[in-house]
Amino acid sequence: MARDGIGTATVEDIAREAGVARATVYRAFPGGRDELVSAAVTHAVADFFVGLWADIGDVPDLTTLLERGLVAGRRRLDEHAVLQRALQDEADQIVPQLATVMPIIIELLRTELGARLASERLRPGVEVGEAADLLARLVLSMIGSPGGWDMDDPAAVRRLVRGQLLAGVVEV
Amino acid sequence: MHSVSVVTNATAPGLGPDGAAEPVDGTVAVVDEWAAGYVAAHGVQRRLVDAALRCIARWGIRKTSLDDIAREAGVSRATVYRVFPGGKDRLVEVVFCHEAGRFLHDVDRELAAAQTLDDLLVTGMTAMLGVASDHAVLGSVIRHEPELVLPHFAFHQLDRVLDLAEVLCRPHLERFLPAADVRPAAELLARVVLSFGFRPAAWVDPHDPASIGRLVRTYLTPALISQTASPAQEMS
Repeated sequence: MARDGIGTATVEDIAREAGVARATVYRAFPGGRDELVSAAVTHAVADFFVGLWADIGDVPDLTTLLERGLVAGRRRLDEHAVLQRALQDEADQIVPQLATVMPIIIELLRTELGARLASERLRPGVEVGEAADLLARLVLSMIGSPGGWDMDDPAAVRRLVRGQLLAGVVEV
Repeated sequence: MHSVSVVTNATAPGLGPDGAAEPVDGTVAVVDEWAAGYVAAHGVQRRLVDAALRCIARWGIRKTSLDDIAREAGVSRATVYRVFPGGKDRLVEVVFCHEAGRFLHDVDRELAAAQTLDDLLVTGMTAMLGVASDHAVLGSVIRHEPELVLPHFAFHQLDRVLDLAEVLCRPHLERFLPAADVRPAAELLARVVLSFGFRPAAWVDPHDPASIGRLVRTYLTPALISQTASPAQEMS
């Protein structure tokens, strides 16, 4: 898929690349090509976030977690050759695939952020579940599309995290 | 260069001479196109968008041709190409933007009447999330032809939507926020609308004023106000 594109990779191509019989592919993925593509995308997304988690490393607090997550996430995305190529040539194929995986990622992120939020001083009225949901959505949106924010500028990232992300959630 | 003069010269409510901040070259093509459409409220454009929506509701985007739209609207093919110069490829964006624009135009008076930032955001969020949840055609397209819609709202393509959000929000947000804070504020609001619009959450219910009020007062207003609390700095 990285070499030939998502749309053009056939089950035969994939079987040959893996050095297995076509029948083996169908045994492993009874849904055929569609199931295989979706599994590959899911795997790539998991790989991306596992790598991102390693980039972030141990962080003392929520603010640092978000700052490092945005910077490292953006960097990984920019450097992800396969994804960038797919976005360029086959956005109509890759984006819906990614969209189907996103609920899992949001859920994982929500859980992690919820755990972090539980030990923060929250602003009056803030509920951990809501805040974690909102933050998870915003962080993913900002990594995917930074808009006017320059994620290479530490001061901008600081302002973004302390302002747009956390000002409504935690006491400063 | 694609000019935004159609936006800035328009005499529509809510879009003053400062309606569009300096846009990045080329990224505003869509913005001025659709904004011109809804701001001018041109009869043919509205008729074509309505016709396009009826065709899409019936056959989906993929199976709708510009000929179908022309026939449905009772206009010539050439007229369709004039209104949708990008042809079929740009149809989704143009129709979406027209719909968003039309909707905001309808609530423009309400937005203009808002006395506080809270009021403004509650009105805007209720309207936008309401349309996301109740718009029959939009919903069915997202369900049945996601590949034609989602790419326009993800990764670098979102930039054009964020530009659009800025144009729409600026006249209203400027009443409550410093001019330099409007762009980042509009971006945040667009992210929230798109996220909960495409992927609803139980705690954000556009049909429950208390729920939207809570989202705004607890989370959004403080986030937007915080920008002004620190020395105003341009986004890079």
